[in-house]
Order: sequence, then structure tokens, then C-alpha cells
Amino acid sequence: MANELIAVVLAGGKGTRLEALTRKNAKPAVSFGAKYRIIDFSLSNCVNSGITTIGVLTQYEPTQLDSYVGNGEKWGLNGLHSLMTTLAPKQTDEGLAWYSGTADAITQNIDWIDSMDPENVLILSGDHIYKMTFNDMLWTHTSNNADVTIAVCEVSPEEAPRFGIMVTDDKGQITEFQEKPKVPKSNLASMGIYMFKWSVLRKLLKEDHKNPDSEHDFGKDIIPKMLNSGMKLMSYEYTGYWRDVGTIASLHQANMDIIDGVFTLDSFYDSNKIYTEDTYSLPHYVGTKGSVKSTIANQGAIILGKSDYCVISNEVVMEYDTVCDRCVIMAGAYIGKHAKVHNAIIAPGVKIGEYAEVNLGNDKVVLISQDVPAKEVR
Amino acid sequence: MSDVVGFCDLHYSPSLDALTTNRPFGCVSFLGRYGIIDFTLSNFSNSGINRVVILAKDNIHSVIDHIQSGQAWLNNTKTGFIQTVINERCINNPTFNTDVANLAANIAAFNLPDVDYYVLAPVHLLTSMDFRPIIDAHIQSKAKITMVYATVDNSKGQFKNCTSIKLDKTKKYIKSTRMHDNASKVDVSLDTFIFSKDALLDLLRMQKNISSLLSVADVIAFGVNGGTLKVNAYRHTNKVYPIFSLNDYMNTSFELLNHQERNHLFLDNWPIYTTTHDTPPSLYGPKSEVKNSFIANGSIIRGKVENSIISRDVTVEEGASIKNSIIFTRTTVGKDVHIENAVCDKDCNIRQVKNVVGSSDEYLIISKGENI
Repeated sequence: MANELIAVVLAGGKGTRLEALTRKNAKPAVSFGAKYRIIDFSLSNCVNSGITTIGVLTQYEPTQLDSYVGNGEKWGLNGLHSLMTTLAPKQTDEGLAWYSGTADAITQNIDWIDSMDPENVLILSGDHIYKMTFNDMLWTHTSNNADVTIAVCEVSPEEAPRFGIMVTDDKGQITEFQEKPKVPKSNLASMGIYMFKWSVLRKLLKEDHKNPDSEHDFGKDIIPKMLNSGMKLMSYEYTGYWRDVGTIASLHQANMDIIDGVFTLDSFYDSNKIYTEDTYSLPHYVGTKGSVKSTIANQGAIILGKSDYCVISNEVVMEYDTVCDRCVIMAGAYIGKHAKVHNAIIAPGVKIGEYAEVNLGNDKVVLISQDVPAKEVR
Repeated sequence: MSDVVGFCDLHYSPSLDALTTNRPFGCVSFLGRYGIIDFTLSNFSNSGINRVVILAKDNIHSVIDHIQSGQAWLNNTKTGFIQTVINERCINNPTFNTDVANLAANIAAFNLPDVDYYVLAPVHLLTSMDFRPIIDAHIQSKAKITMVYATVDNSKGQFKNCTSIKLDKTKKYIKSTRMHDNASKVDVSLDTFIFSKDALLDLLRMQKNISSLLSVADVIAFGVNGGTLKVNAYRHTNKVYPIFSLNDYMNTSFELLNHQERNHLFLDNWPIYTTTHDTPPSLYGPKSEVKNSFIANGSIIRGKVENSIISRDVTVEEGASIKNSIIFTRTTVGKDVHIENAVCDKDCNIRQVKNVVGSSDEYLIISKGENI
């Protein structure tokens, strides 16, 4: 049975700017929004679009990510005609090769994609926060008989130089591509979501593989080449919330966006749920002297202190008389009695000692990735 | 534990008034997240019992809805199963709808060639119980039937509906049983039994000869008191929370808000499993005030909540206040509504009636789906 659309999720990146959060963990496996991991968003988007075949490309610190993704059951991908698999770099007849670029990662898995017999392949990044279904994009792609359709979103002129910018005509066809331009000609940034005709992409990848000057990157090599050779590149404009949470500050801000309602998570009346792992925890508990305001809290947390503007993950313990504000507290972190923390991301399992005072009065978000010793009080 | 089948017995189902009109006792929501049945099922899972038959009495839709494929409680989805069975013939004849009749009607579900032992456990006595040492003791005793009992303080009558037992001189066997013993220290049956395979099949036949109205526990009591059954005794030492009435249900729920109390039921390395609903974390508004409460995922809290339990996807609007109450899934508590000493079933919409107030002796129930 031919597959109209399969998805390949790029999840091999290190995410260096997330500092210690990705020291032993791939960026897509970093936790987000008290309950989720970043990759849940891409995978749930695929599932909510009716995509049943997903390959997840892993490379950097894949162990946690591999076991997390598993057979895709958490996203319901263990049903009939469904398949989820991780695709790691492998040793072959030609030797051992790491993925040397986004395009190379797909090239090395041509055989797997061929075996799925797809008409189109959706390539997306596993480290973006957004809720989007790809059905409209597929319609744009097929009704225009495009060789590739690229999802774009509007960015401000100040932000534009950080992105790949697409210049389009009035029908949405891409006429020019500028990679991180100093003087952007448009405000439409590529979201790194590409929907290719597989027959076209396959040929391009084979050629690119033989080109010694190529960096084997979609943005730098494949897309410019398609434009130069007169292929049909369509844009698909997405207007919802979309963030690449590449830095500690942007990860923190995207978490705060949930509290502010800028980004809403699913609820029972929303059919586009974000699926994730479940923990066998009690509902979270707020103590007799607790105070919780403008906060997101997941099951399993015990909140005995004061939380204002915080994102509190499962199995977090905030002891009596603690004060946390503007904090993202990841799973299993422990805040000792009387400790105060401001404007921080507290990494999973970190212990903040009694009476400790962390980052008070500082506007800059800090990552706390190591235990903070208790402070002696006289 | 590959040679064991566990029975989760829903036949003894105390009434929780309107909460159990359309669902079995075992499917009543508990602590905002669980079904009462989850404790027994998790005891089976954690004890490595991977084949479970649920003996449902009625309202099977509710059981199926909660259990789904059973995957949440299974260690292996190929070698294990959770099967729900009912006694079709007795659905409209509750008097004869006993667990014995259910077992007899569905013998093929559990009379498997590789099974040597059966464990039967009810759902109304909440406790964390490891069946492995009990089965070991059962095998060592060479008895055909083992009864699990606990030594409890019944001075306040919490266990008054349990069968109390007397042990023989060796302290190994049950000597006699009787109802209603209000002593401060009393041994009560936990209606939990281990059977060697033939013993269960014998018991089903035995009931026919005594009375078709008797339950498994009744037949055993009859056999012990008449001297025809020799039943081994095993003492369970973890704390047991009995639920026989709506007041028991409410008070036990509130009791478990206390951290120390909770540690008696939720043990380390003894997780309680339940079905997942993929609900997002709860969201608190800027004016929320929450004290001593459980808040389940998916809730939106903008008002006041005190000494209460808020289940999945509940909305508490600004100005609303909830005290000493339990709110079930997907219920909305509107602006300026005050709820106290009440339990609101799921899918309610409470907006017009501004005071929903019961008392701690007589909790008020708002039935499922009410729009008031």
C-alpha cells in the first residue's frame, strides 16, 4: 500500500545552547511545559494529521530519546498500519558514517524510506514547540503539484536575520531564498518543515551525496539547488504559535507563554492533543500553607510553599516556606525549606538546600543544573 | 506468578448513593485520578499476577470504559490479560447474581491448564497488598484455601460490616467466623482468598448444595463454622481503609490528604496504575487560592479550593469557592458558586445555584451531568 505522506523527524541535534540540560540528553528529549518533552509536539502534530509512519533520526546522546520514543505507543503509533522507528547512524558496507548534515541524515536512510513507498515525505525538526496539523499543507503541496512545500511564518524585521527567509510571489510560490540575511527581503521565515515529493527528493539527495562541496544541508544546499534548477517550491504560511527553544532564555520564555495563555496546551474539548508519557503519580498536592498562583503544575508534585509564575513538573517537591517565582522546575527537583528561587530553570532531580537564595533580583534567567547547598542561618 | 489467575471481585459493592446508580462501586472516581478498582488491579500487577479476571456484577459499560484493553495494568500484553466477565443470566435477577454464580458461568475464562492457584480480592477494602508472600505461605501450609485477615481497631465501628474471625490454638487456621464485632482489637477477614485450583472448583459445587444466594466469602464462612473446610490464615499488616458508605468514601478521601496517612496506602515501589487520558497539567489563575487539596491534571483553577479533591478537567472559575468537597471529572464550578461538604459527579455545570452545601454527617450529592 503506497503511503501518501510519511514523516521523518530530525532529532539528532545536540542543542549546545541549552547547556547542561543537553549534556547527557538530546535536545528533543528535554522536558517542557511541566509534563512534556520537546519532541512530543512534532510527534503529536504528525499523529493529529493522520500520519501513521514516522522515522525519528537520532544521533547525539540517543539512549534516553530512543527508549522514550520506543515503538510509538505513547502517541498511539502501535495501531494497524502504524510504524514508528528510530533511525540512528549505522555501520554499513561503506563504513561507519555519522549524519553530516540534515540532508545527509535522510540520504543515509533512503532504503528505509523506499521500503515505506511514500509519495511525499514530511521532514521536520524534533525541537520546536508548536501545534499544527499538516493536512492543509499537504493540500497546498498536492494541488499545486509542488516539488517541495515549505512551512513559513511571519517574523519581525529584527528577528529575520536569524532565520532562512523566503521570498514568495502572490500565489505563495517561493522565488528566492536568503539564509540568515543581513537585509531580509521578506518577513517569512522557514520553519524547517519541508514536504517533498519523494521521487524528486530521492534524486536530489543522490546527487548531493556525490557533491564534495556540499554541506548536505536542506537550507544551505538542497533548497537553493531546487530554486536554481527551476523546480516548483511552494510556501505554506502558518500563523499559530511556533518557537525554536534553542536557548535557556527562550526555553524559559516558551514555558512562561503557557501561563500567559500565549500558547495553550490541549484540553478536553481540543482534538489536537499533545500526547506524552504518563507517570503513575497522584494528582499534585497543595499544602495547608501553600500558595499557588499563575502556575502550571503536573501530577505528582507536592507544593507546600509559594509558587508564583512557575511551571512545576511531576514529582517536584517544594517544601514549607519556599518561594519560587518565574521558575521552570523540572521533574523530581527538590526545593528545601525556606529556599527562594527567582527566574530560573531548575534541571531534573536538582536539590536546592534549605534557606538557599538563588538568582534573587536578577532579570537574567539562569539554569540550575547542580545541587545548591543549604545556607547556614544564625 | 505465571501459574496464578487473579479475580477482582466487584460483587460486593457497597452503595455510595447516587454515585453508584449508574456505575459499579469499583469504578467510582477516587482521589481525583483513580478508580477504586485500581488498587486491587495494581496489587495484582505489582505482585506479578499477569492474568486477571474481573467479576463484574452490573453496569459493565463503566468497567469496560475504565479498563479499556487492560494495558495499564499488564506487565506483558501477550502473555497476560485482563478479562471482564458477567453472569448474563442473572443481570435482571440481582438476588442470584453472586460471585459464585459468575465464576460458575465463566469457568472457561480461568480454568486454564497451566494455572495452579487463584487469588480472589474485593475492591472495597483499600490497601497495598503483595500477594507473593501470601501465595508462598499458602503453598507451604499445604492448605487448599487461605484467608487473608487483618488485626484492626474497630472501636469506631469502621469495620463493622467485615466478618470477624477467631483463630485456632495453632494460630494457623480459622476456627470460626461471625459478624459485627465492635472490639478495639479484632481480627477481620479481608475477603481475600488464595485457592489451590481444585479447591475453587469444589467451592463452586459446594455452594449449590448449600444455597444459591451465598457468595464465595459466605461459603467459606459456612464451611469453617460447620467444620467442613480447613482454611489457613494469613495476617496482612499494611493499613486497610474500608469503604462501606458514602461517609466512609468521603472521610477516607479527606484523610488521605494528609501526607503521613497517604504513605500507608501509597507505598514506595508499589505504584497504583490507572488509565491515562493525556490531559495537560493544571493551570492556576492569578487569583487562585488552594489549600490542602489534590488537583488532578487538566483542571483550571481560578477560585478558592480548600480541603478538597479536584479531578481531571475541572474548571473552578474566579470567585468560586470549594470546601471539604470532591469534584469529579469535567465539572465546571461557575463564578461565585460556593460548594461545601458536597460531592459533584462528572460533567456537571454548576452556575445558577450559588450555594451547594451539605454537612460532614450528610454530604450533598450532585448527580452526573446536572446543570444547575
